Amino acid sequence: MNIEELKKIKAQFRPKLENRLDSRPLEKNDDRKISIMVCRGSGCIASAGKTNPYEAFVNALEKYNLQEKVEVVRTGCHGLCEQGPIAVIHPGATLYTNLQAGDVEEIVQKHVIKKEFVERLLYWDPVKKKHISSMDNINFYNKQTRRILYNNGLIDPMIIEEYIANDGYFALAKTLEMDRLAVIEEVKKSELKGRGGAGFPTGLKWEFACKAKGDQKYMVCNADEGDPGAYMNRSELEGNPHAVLEGMVIGAYAIGATKGYIYVRAEYPLAIETLENAIAQARERGLLGKNILGTSFDFDIEIFLGSGAFVCGEETALLASIEQKRGNPRPKPPFPANEGLFGKPTILNNVGTLCNIPLIMQKGADWWSSIGTESTKGTKVFSLTGNINNSGLIEVPMGISLGEIVFDIGGGVPNGKKFKAAQLGGPSGGCVPAQYLNLPIDYESLKGIGCIMGSGALVVLDEDTCMVDTAKFFLEFDRDESCGQCLPCRRGLPLMVDILEGITEGRGKLEDLDTLQNLAEGVAKTSLCALGQTAASPTLSTIQHFRDEYEAHIIDKKCPAGVCAVFFKSKCQNACPISQDIPTYLALAKEDRMEESYKVIKQTNPIPLVLGRVCHNPCEYKCERQKLDEALSVRHVKRFVADFAYENNFEYRPPQKPEKPEKVAIVGSGPAGLSAAYDLAIEGYKTTIFEALPTAGGMLAVGIPEYRLPRKVLNYDIEQIKKMGVEIKLNTKIDSIDKLLDDGFKAVFLAIGAHGERKMNIPGEDLKGVCLGMDFLKNLNLGEKVDIGKKVVVIGGGNSAMDCARVAKRMGADSVTVVYRREEKDMPAIKEEIEAAQKEGITFECLSLPVEIIGNGCVEKVKCERMTFDNFDASCRKITCPIKGSEYTIDADMVIESIGQFPQSSWISESKVEIAENKRIIADKRTLVTGREGIFAGGDAFSGPRTVCEAVAEGQRAAFSINQYLQKLPLSEVMNRQDPEKYLVPFASEEEPQEKARVAITEKDPGTACKCFDEIACDYSKQEALEEAGRCLRCDAWES
Amino acid sequence: MRDFELNKSELSIIDKIVENGSGDSDNLIKILQEIQLKLGYVPKQAQRMVAEKLQIAVSRIYGVVTFYNFFRLNPPGKHSINVCLGTACYVRGGKAILNTIKKVYNIEPGQTTPDREFSLETVRCLGCCALAPVMAIDGNTYARNNPAKTREILRQIT
Repeated sequence: MNIEELKKIKAQFRPKLENRLDSRPLEKNDDRKISIMVCRGSGCIASAGKTNPYEAFVNALEKYNLQEKVEVVRTGCHGLCEQGPIAVIHPGATLYTNLQAGDVEEIVQKHVIKKEFVERLLYWDPVKKKHISSMDNINFYNKQTRRILYNNGLIDPMIIEEYIANDGYFALAKTLEMDRLAVIEEVKKSELKGRGGAGFPTGLKWEFACKAKGDQKYMVCNADEGDPGAYMNRSELEGNPHAVLEGMVIGAYAIGATKGYIYVRAEYPLAIETLENAIAQARERGLLGKNILGTSFDFDIEIFLGSGAFVCGEETALLASIEQKRGNPRPKPPFPANEGLFGKPTILNNVGTLCNIPLIMQKGADWWSSIGTESTKGTKVFSLTGNINNSGLIEVPMGISLGEIVFDIGGGVPNGKKFKAAQLGGPSGGCVPAQYLNLPIDYESLKGIGCIMGSGALVVLDEDTCMVDTAKFFLEFDRDESCGQCLPCRRGLPLMVDILEGITEGRGKLEDLDTLQNLAEGVAKTSLCALGQTAASPTLSTIQHFRDEYEAHIIDKKCPAGVCAVFFKSKCQNACPISQDIPTYLALAKEDRMEESYKVIKQTNPIPLVLGRVCHNPCEYKCERQKLDEALSVRHVKRFVADFAYENNFEYRPPQKPEKPEKVAIVGSGPAGLSAAYDLAIEGYKTTIFEALPTAGGMLAVGIPEYRLPRKVLNYDIEQIKKMGVEIKLNTKIDSIDKLLDDGFKAVFLAIGAHGERKMNIPGEDLKGVCLGMDFLKNLNLGEKVDIGKKVVVIGGGNSAMDCARVAKRMGADSVTVVYRREEKDMPAIKEEIEAAQKEGITFECLSLPVEIIGNGCVEKVKCERMTFDNFDASCRKITCPIKGSEYTIDADMVIESIGQFPQSSWISESKVEIAENKRIIADKRTLVTGREGIFAGGDAFSGPRTVCEAVAEGQRAAFSINQYLQKLPLSEVMNRQDPEKYLVPFASEEEPQEKARVAITEKDPGTACKCFDEIACDYSKQEALEEAGRCLRCDAWES
Repeated sequence: MRDFELNKSELSIIDKIVENGSGDSDNLIKILQEIQLKLGYVPKQAQRMVAEKLQIAVSRIYGVVTFYNFFRLNPPGKHSINVCLGTACYVRGGKAILNTIKKVYNIEPGQTTPDREFSLETVRCLGCCALAPVMAIDGNTYARNNPAKTREILRQIT
């Protein structure tokens, strides 16, 4: 074969490819030839199970006699592996996903014959929430730069002519006419860096081998791909094997090698089969073996199977394996380029590196390096896996940000979960948390944050992942895969694993983190090979970025993610800030033992009527049941139980210890203050709550509207607390801590909440008709006269803003518009509130920022700017910035600003307790003691605006610390909770749970509900409550 | 490592593979891979036969076989039991299931009973987390498991 014959083959087969590249969608009487590209990658084969879509297509075409007009091609991996089995139909690049047995015939009937899309099988975009017919409009694809993966999905990898038709082997032809050194220069010029993980400049490595002396030289391809989660090389081999071969031949020519090996792991049977076929065809065509392309250059390739050893991905171990030995690495120098396989100069390149070589030689180094960053040119293939919607293989230009990969290409994290970190580099790598979402991905920037690129495995981790457990997983993996030769790795890794196991099993100590650091440094500096040297990287990286999670395991004996099972009996209780014994009270409710259920709730919940209505229910987000059908409606069952007690006058207060002499003062009667009083009363202390306002409850009374939390149930819960001997002094503003101490209080808890509202600070704020959200709600709730406009604009996107908007509607506004500067999906308010507001007729202007309020004495208009996207911020949302010249106005006669709250704490700093710049009271994170002895702080005043339940938890925490303080005990970091009465509700596990949706919560019709302040959510009926409680899987009831 | 009794057919398979190998140690790993594929494990006796044929020390072969995960030293049992110890199963008593099986057959994960009936492995997630704890035997999944149920299932299989 020579170049002329290559050209002939290309000319002959090119039209086939042109047809497949035609992206004009099919029209009704279209007579263009149709190509059905069926993915034959291992992923699609696995998800096809017993069906065979390729065969099904062939049979269907035969049935309808369409074999002439339609070709069916078995291609390499298309990349969207999550959605397999996949087939793409050209012209029009229509992507069909999740094909099952009957689907193929339908596609032939509708799409091929009638030229109509089969809507339900088209790709479903998780962000745009609709089916998309053309791959050109699918973000997953159009945001990639598919150079290496270009052929995957375009050609049949088993037919060499199709590779040639797409310029295959032309690079080789060109190369063989160049001087060896010129070839190396071109590769050097491209600045290609090894894609296996180490990132060493390929051209430079080739130069070493070229210059090395040896009667025999070897060119070896590393296709061992041992990183868990990485399968880029597999798809490259299965889909475009000739690119690897061509790259190897070019490399062999450059360095002067005559023999080559491809070291493939045995776990890739399809890749092996594809390679064997490709090698045979290449040999047949004179592109491999003797006298390649008619020149005097000889080079042949042998396939060598790996045998399941991760360490054999390391260069010297791999070569030892080919030498039929144990895969023990050896020290470098000497480098394999000088002394490698059988002692001869050897080049080992990763599959990904080799795939780039034909592109560089064919199109030139300048073209190849025209994309990328300063430190890293070109593209990289990543396997995007883990908690991600569009899981699969992607190829992106270097310099793309992590956020773009995860959210734009990957479609974000499924099931509404939050992004936590991306793990790159597998067992040798590190994690990249949310604050680095804007990090441009290349070798240098990742090194800068303690991470590496690795071979390309990019695992997305969501909020349900425990970073300590993840670190342990990778370290255990390296420990198991260690070859055992050198002491640091052989002894050091198990020692580090022991420490991590200790931490995840409750035996951790703070010193462990330093010990791990020291061990890691020692092992990294003294291990023989990269396995030992990098084994501790995931651990060190997670300690660096998630230290608080380690500390939670060590100090608090808690796994916040709900993974390390030794710390909790059920995920719901673990997620609850006040550790409610959910499985027990649900089990009691299920058996209609409502009074006992209420007692269990009240052990740790001082305000069940309130929390049953307004809790943000973190328990439901962790409920195990969601993996089967839907999470338990825990909060609403709790509400039923609390309402039951209320309606049936069943009162229960936990038993109180004998009275203690010390008096405790609490400033603020919000949830934090109330719950501290409750727990202190249980301990026997006389507590007085000082409340500045005329009514008790804090935000519960003056923030949250009546239709979400009727005042009568709030007051009942407060009454129950008063019955425990707690005194509440209303209309009493405290302005000096010293005065309280002078009055004989031995300890003070500052729980003043965050009632100050931030201002926009834009012109026109002083006009009549502009007010702050907190003032608006407070005045209304205190029964004062509040004027309402006809056209109300609410600025903000949090729960408070929703409250303002929905209240304004109820007060009779004709139109209510919420203006928010980001997208609706980025609003901090809970989804249910946003939806409810929309159903009540409130309009939303998102991506808008008010810049001026206009009017003559009174508000007339609000001038806003449209916003567009900039980079990501640490909350995984995109920052927005104004579009110049996009100003527009909204008519308004009332503007309510609700953009954020802060504690009104200036008087506290005058009492010698430190306040931070954001006005929050400074106190110890765990004991809640301030800088002043005996003075404690908690709730929104300490942590900033958060949820009711978290405030309750801090009130309890403060009470615990106050008790220790008053008993002259040292303040401990861990709060020991004792449940006085233990219920063990047995559970019969005979039946397998059937899929059953949660019992829906009935709500008043929004059209009528928005006209009054009556409570919207209706209680469950007894029947419904029993049914819903019965869905609990009883995660607590298992033998351990 | 237990020494398992090889039968005639197994012995002849090993003979053939060793004969076909070119006889020099350049093909050691390939030969061992073939034995693993055909027998499901690499028995001690096979290692001795290969050592003899290729004129290399048994210790070297043992070193290679124990290094690579591909090679099993225990034959797969007639029934393979996989106990899931992924997080959800772990929380719901997966360890108790494992301990039950360990007690009944007196084997550790990775081992096979002497009569070659049962082999035991732990796996990390079969993907039915809501029905934890889960075990799979011969490809059949048993969910909502507990020690009593496990004993019953094992009794039924034998």
